[in-house]
Amino acid sequence: MTPAEPVAAVPTDAALIAAWHGGDEPAAAELVRRHARALARFLAGAGAHAADVDDLVQETFIRAFRALGRFRGQCQFRTWLMTIGGNVLKDAHRRSRRARVVPLGDDLRATDGDPHERAVAGEAERRLAAGLEQLPRMQREVFLLRAQQGFEYEEIAAALGTTPGAARVHYHHAVRRLKEHMK
Amino acid sequence: MNDDAKLNDDQLQEVARRLGARAAEQLDVEGTARAVLARLRTEPRAEVRVLGWVQPAWLRIAAVLLLMVGAGVVAVNVRGPRDTPPLPAAAAGGELSELSGDELRIVLEGLGHPGGEAQAVSSQDVGLEDLSAPQLRALLESLEG
Repeated sequence: MTPAEPVAAVPTDAALIAAWHGGDEPAAAELVRRHARALARFLAGAGAHAADVDDLVQETFIRAFRALGRFRGQCQFRTWLMTIGGNVLKDAHRRSRRARVVPLGDDLRATDGDPHERAVAGEAERRLAAGLEQLPRMQREVFLLRAQQGFEYEEIAAALGTTPGAARVHYHHAVRRLKEHMK
Repeated sequence: MNDDAKLNDDQLQEVARRLGARAAEQLDVEGTARAVLARLRTEPRAEVRVLGWVQPAWLRIAAVLLLMVGAGVVAVNVRGPRDTPPLPAAAAGGELSELSGDELRIVLEGLGHPGGEAQAVSSQDVGLEDLSAPQLRALLESLEG
């Protein structure tokens, strides 16, 4: 009987961050690979124009790597990254009204499945995206971190600098308003 | 929470999970990683840090200087006009006849300016040297009100 091959340990985010601090560039690249798609979803859900998502993801990682000295592990790296992404998006909104456009078009156009189902799904996403645009930033980000990304309230609260109870309240306000919007 | 509401919550979450899926799929992750590393190499973080610190610092210094200059201007205005030169000693004793024309002019200017314009005209145009002591006394009394 041959012994099972040892499984290469996957480095944690914390280990990659420490490695990057030590000048290890591949560690930074690995962090980007791990979190870029989730960040792109978050930014698109938060109102980024599809054409801008690439640049916004890049800018978010740049800011995050430069601010890593201030990251104390109070929340997951990914959640922290998304709060930075929220700031990057806000700055982009200031610079250009273009980014306020609800992410319609290609992003919501699925190409598989029943055409009627696709149309219904696309309409629901359009309405949700439009509803998210109407929410205050805190409610929008709490909703996305919870409903889209699946984080717990404790994690969301730590990332946004609030309490789990307040995060819960923001989420429920967001859900109520989104439901009204989607009726 | 009733079943309908629960169902709606689930549906909402389902739609939320689909949001941005296409953008995520289309993202060139390797390209993004390369671009991020390239920018980190070429845009030194020290520059950003210095700019981020110096700019507000200069603004603060400028604000403090502005406040100091403003406070100085206000202080000068509040203090009012300079003190008038002291009156000749003889003016206090009532011996106006012993004063020269220039001394009398100083006395008149030191009495305050209830009718400033009229006084200025009379003291300059009439020629105080030509007035007698009673006339000068009458003039001073009229100026004192």
